[in-house]
Amino acid sequence: MTEVATNGHGAHVEHAPAPPPTGLRRFTAPGWWRVLWMMPLFWGIGAGIVLLLRWYAAWDPLWEWNALVVVAFLTTMPIGFLAGLGAFDYWVHYALGGETLPEDHSGHGARSWKDYFRVNTDHKVIGIQYLVTTFSFFVIGGLAAMVVRAELAKPGMQITDNQGFNGLFTVHATLMIFLFVIPAFAGLANYVVPLMLGAPDMAFPRLNALSFWLLPIGGLMLVGSFLAPGGPPAAGWTGYATLSTHLPMGTLFFNMAVQWAGASSIMTALNFLVTIITMRAPGMTFWRMPLLVWANFTTSLLVVLATPFIAGSQFFVMFDRILHTHFFNPVGGGYALGYQHIFWFYSHPAVYIMVLPGFGIISEIIAVFARKPIFGYRLMALSMLAILVLGFSVWAHHMFVSGMADYLRVPMMITTLLIAVPTGVKVFNWLGTLWEGRIHFTTPMLWALGFISTFVIGGLSGVYLGAVPIDIHTSDTYFIVAHIHYVLFGGSFFTIMAGVYYWFPKMTGRMYNEALGKIHFWTTFIAFNLTFFPMHLIGTRGMPRRVADYAPQFADWNLFISICSFALGASIVIFFYNMIHSWKFGPKAPGNPWHALTLEWQVSSPPPVFNFDEIPQVIGSPYEYGVPGARHALLNGAKTHELEEVER
Amino acid sequence: MLLFIASEVMLFGSFFTAYFFIRVVNGYPWPPEGFELPRYVAGVNTAILVTSSFTMHWALQSIRRGNRAGMQAGLVLTFLMGLTFLLTQVIEYARVGFAPHDNAFTTIFFSLTGLHGAHVFVGLTILLFMTIRAYRGHFSPEHHYGVELGGIYWHFVDIMWIVVYTTVYII
Repeated sequence: MTEVATNGHGAHVEHAPAPPPTGLRRFTAPGWWRVLWMMPLFWGIGAGIVLLLRWYAAWDPLWEWNALVVVAFLTTMPIGFLAGLGAFDYWVHYALGGETLPEDHSGHGARSWKDYFRVNTDHKVIGIQYLVTTFSFFVIGGLAAMVVRAELAKPGMQITDNQGFNGLFTVHATLMIFLFVIPAFAGLANYVVPLMLGAPDMAFPRLNALSFWLLPIGGLMLVGSFLAPGGPPAAGWTGYATLSTHLPMGTLFFNMAVQWAGASSIMTALNFLVTIITMRAPGMTFWRMPLLVWANFTTSLLVVLATPFIAGSQFFVMFDRILHTHFFNPVGGGYALGYQHIFWFYSHPAVYIMVLPGFGIISEIIAVFARKPIFGYRLMALSMLAILVLGFSVWAHHMFVSGMADYLRVPMMITTLLIAVPTGVKVFNWLGTLWEGRIHFTTPMLWALGFISTFVIGGLSGVYLGAVPIDIHTSDTYFIVAHIHYVLFGGSFFTIMAGVYYWFPKMTGRMYNEALGKIHFWTTFIAFNLTFFPMHLIGTRGMPRRVADYAPQFADWNLFISICSFALGASIVIFFYNMIHSWKFGPKAPGNPWHALTLEWQVSSPPPVFNFDEIPQVIGSPYEYGVPGARHALLNGAKTHELEEVER
Repeated sequence: MLLFIASEVMLFGSFFTAYFFIRVVNGYPWPPEGFELPRYVAGVNTAILVTSSFTMHWALQSIRRGNRAGMQAGLVLTFLMGLTFLLTQVIEYARVGFAPHDNAFTTIFFSLTGLHGAHVFVGLTILLFMTIRAYRGHFSPEHHYGVELGGIYWHFVDIMWIVVYTTVYII
């Protein structure tokens, strides 16, 4: 099939894919066969560098596992994996002075399931790769949580030992944060943002592919850490030094996994920023962009500015461990609290990285299903920018009990409470959008409404925790666990669900089962609240978090929480059944099942390889629902698709 | 590209934060007794690196005016000066007389200069690629974005070194 499409970026010709290489050619062409020999090769290079340096410097012992693990296993071998898969092919060709190739687009589009397992430069394929990968890690992280809850069902030790328990909740939290929430948003945005902007793809498609493939590397490192001698990383997802510099080798896997995932998110963020700044369709001014695009714009700025700090903090921990440096070791003049300052300077902005894209998704869904223009559009965008700025000034509220300088406490408390203002603006604007709207209770809308209710609870407990006295009382109790799950599960996860259901027809071309979707929502919503709400109670009574055993007076509540958490885990099965079954057998989806105005719904489901036959002309706001005669954009393609649907 | 540079600046920022904590918040004598840095050798090295920024600029201006030989000479000179800088740095590491694991002062010295050294290495790799392409007949007065980007990165490495040199060696 040859499809010629013209747009502002010149003619795109879709080529038929080259026939798969056979025989020995398999081993030289990019792909999994080449990975087979390139991974050991690069492992050898890494190990060789380490051994050569150690031999030259006459260090003893020559064969030092910590250094070998970091360099050979966790750095060069993954690079070999990427090289084997072909992530660097074009750049190597360019660097060695090859001719600039005319883009043949053979890396675009997916014709069979195999195309999802290679370096694909199509943002829609990458978006789906992201989502499937992140949900796989979500399952692993969820299973770890189930084991944690099983252990906590009764006082005393039943299933694991203390160190194993520490490893389980560490891997659970790290997977959920770095391998699920952050990249799942990146995946949804990867699929949707270029479509919403009226662009044929992201600004740097090859960089986009590379940043996706860094992700499974980071995730497999974390999962693989269970095989490391001494067990998985066990210092919590925060990995506080100096504990983390003294634990067994698994911590190195944590350090490096975070680096890989962090590099992935920095690259994606740069890509989003450049795409949003340079690739908007004609007429798409900043004040006509959908709020999801705004959300990803601010999130990407946060990622670009904050993520290097976690990279730094993990480097320091790693150096303290393998080079015996003294960043955090007070004996040699290091400053132990420095880790927490540097870590939270990233990780507080990171909580906004984990929720701002969700705000964007919710804004889309609420406007569409309330059939009303979004209330206070500009204020919605500006409040996100306010969160961006304020987010950098609140990090020390995680450290009220750490022994840091006292004078930092009150300023941090004030800035923390101030952040509630732009967040409150958003919540009230959503409520204002719903006010007197014609609300359609579809599955995405249910998730969006569920999100608002749970997120308000999580946000309010956040305000409690921002106040120094309450924070000192509840530090490291289950109140914190309840808070983080209300904002991350009730916040981020609910928005990811809303987004997945909302764009499922667009991504797969099939409709999901609405009844199952609603059952999934209600079981999750009820089980979620029953699981995490009681944690507020036992937390204020003093049940400590991150401890495998606890005092007997908390036994009843913990048993109840554990049972509800298993129900919560089981509710996910409904989701996976619905998604997989509908992807294969669901009824065909029309181009615009929700009657939405934003650009991604104006093309077929799934969209053609280069999204738009002709770059659309944007003429108005994306949210003018119910306004007679209002149009967001003019498309030629849309007319033909509408005709096709009528004929069908 | 400027956004990427911003990200890099923040990475250096995290290292400088560690430096600040160790030096200012802890309040020990700085540098500790018996630890001297080769300030003057590094000063000469700084001069070399700063000069290389000018040759880089010369290379870019040359190709803008269509002077291919000028670009090639500029790139090669820049590369050589960067290499000189890096090798001097390596020799300094070998002869400075202390190791990263001695105390926090040496830790922060090696990590800040080492982070910068890693960036010089990346910059040199980019310069090498640019030089190869320049000699194989790429780039023209209209198309020289590659040189421009490599140049931005090199200037960043250079300016960062001035900051690192000032904080680590002089103050």
